[in-house]
Amino acid sequence: MLETTLHPQGRALPAAPNRGRRADALRWIAGAFFLAALAFGIVAWAVGDVFFLRLATEALIYGGLALSVDLLLGRTGLLPLGQALFFGLGAYVSALVLKHWAASFWLALAVAMAASALAGLMGGLIAIRSKGVYFALISFGLAQVVSKVVYNTRELGASDGLIGVPAAQLGAGLSTALPLGFFLVVLALIFATWALLSWLMDTPFGRQLAAVRGNEQRLAFIGVDPWRVKLAVFVLAATIAGASGALYPMLRGFVSPELMFFQVSGNAVINVIVGGTGTLIGPLLGSSLLTGLRSVVGSWTEHHHIAIGLLFVIVVILAPRGLVGGLAPRLQAWLDRRRDQELS
Amino acid sequence: MSADNILQVRNLSVRFGALKAVDDVSFDARQGAITAVIGPNGAGKSTLFNLVSGAFRPHSGRVTLAGRDITGQPPQTLLAAGLARSFQITNLFFELPVRENLRLAAQFVEAGPWWRGLRPVQASRAALQRVDELIEQFDLAADADEVAGALSHGQQRRLEIAMALASRPRLLLLDEPTQGMSHADTQDTAGLIRGLVQRGLSILIVEHDVDLVMKLSDHVVVMHQGAKLAEGPPAAVRADPAVQAAYFGKEAQHA
Repeated sequence: MLETTLHPQGRALPAAPNRGRRADALRWIAGAFFLAALAFGIVAWAVGDVFFLRLATEALIYGGLALSVDLLLGRTGLLPLGQALFFGLGAYVSALVLKHWAASFWLALAVAMAASALAGLMGGLIAIRSKGVYFALISFGLAQVVSKVVYNTRELGASDGLIGVPAAQLGAGLSTALPLGFFLVVLALIFATWALLSWLMDTPFGRQLAAVRGNEQRLAFIGVDPWRVKLAVFVLAATIAGASGALYPMLRGFVSPELMFFQVSGNAVINVIVGGTGTLIGPLLGSSLLTGLRSVVGSWTEHHHIAIGLLFVIVVILAPRGLVGGLAPRLQAWLDRRRDQELS
Repeated sequence: MSADNILQVRNLSVRFGALKAVDDVSFDARQGAITAVIGPNGAGKSTLFNLVSGAFRPHSGRVTLAGRDITGQPPQTLLAAGLARSFQITNLFFELPVRENLRLAAQFVEAGPWWRGLRPVQASRAALQRVDELIEQFDLAADADEVAGALSHGQQRRLEIAMALASRPRLLLLDEPTQGMSHADTQDTAGLIRGLVQRGLSILIVEHDVDLVMKLSDHVVVMHQGAKLAEGPPAAVRADPAVQAAYFGKEAQHA
């Protein structure tokens, strides 16, 4: 069940010419997503909203975490059940830099990325030796260990976490305390990450990820050390997760051990699957919808996990490729028809 | 002796528990020739092949490729040294298109530092040109955009060989290339292998089809119960009484 539900070997995007054609539809969806996000920010600012602007910023931050999960799960076929480890690490490092060093956005982001890359290297050396369910469990276990250590370390605020993190300054008078300003900064960063990954997927390295997913043993016999490919992608995913986490204390002003808990790792995987595994834009969409839903349903009832759980089951049954995975082929067919009509 | 031997295998052994799967085997493969390894089922042919191609590590012995010691090196290092292999059980990227299978394999011919792997695939001109050559050479143009899993068995076997050739190796190891093929496809493949040797490639082949081996090879190594039983030109090997007893005696009625 775990394999068939969470390990979409066969249902990720078909590659090469099909992917080339479908990339158009995915780019359309991505363009629509980023434009809608921009429009949302401006409208929310115009009507004087802060709550939803902050919530949307949080959704994008979790979208960054989901992108890192998609890189591993959708592209490389590795299911990370502990990706929150790097997200939480980035958040703590960022909070510590902002509190004790300097309230600089760029410094906090850079140090958090360096720390999570290093942690990704160490975690990767342990985790990528194994495959399938074992990789998933080692990833889960590493996150459990680190989160419990943080939970029991008084210097890191133990179960309370670190509170009173100051707003970060970006320069030119821009501060993360400004709801619209910070939303736009996060949107720009997430867009840059998405664009970078989209580009990377069409390089020899990116294509090797699909080769690892399809037939890892064969890679060595075409001259590629699969171990290096997996380690590189693991470090990259950890860095992206850490960078996303670094933004969290800038938004909320605190960090807590819960950021490393399985809840966060599990939600990221659910966001990816609901949005569309392997599509990159799908996980951003999934994070936005589900973060919004968790908050809105959560304000009505404490039992919002039931609603999210039901939604997850329904999406997996009705749209096993996720929302974007189901939408993209239809949109592509429509785009192709339209192009044919224009040509004739 | 060593000048025209591309591959030297000396005293190669590996044990799996108490079983000596390959026991003190030595032989040479000549430059520009076809060397065949034959033997009954369980003779240790495939294990020998896996030792030479870096899939398994030998417990003792030495493998030398064009004068360079390659014993126990991993497959990616062997490929860089000029040794490529195909697989008996078709071993492709089944959910990727034929062209992408070849492109992944052909990326090897792209020279330059590692970060060139971070440019778009279209920038790897040499690799793409190699893909086009292979599609032409192996007659895969009509199916180039199909996923490899959708090809017929014969086409998959052809793609398997094409992928092994993508890196322009000096020595090609073919593990039962005609396994499961029709008679006509087998003849085609034999012709193809001959063509490769005429272009200067050296080939080491493990094959079950004894008639094919006798027609195709320049040199035959016979394995029996993990050890080398005999070696020599096909006719001499065929005439060897020990070989006939161990192999042809039992296999003759099947062949």
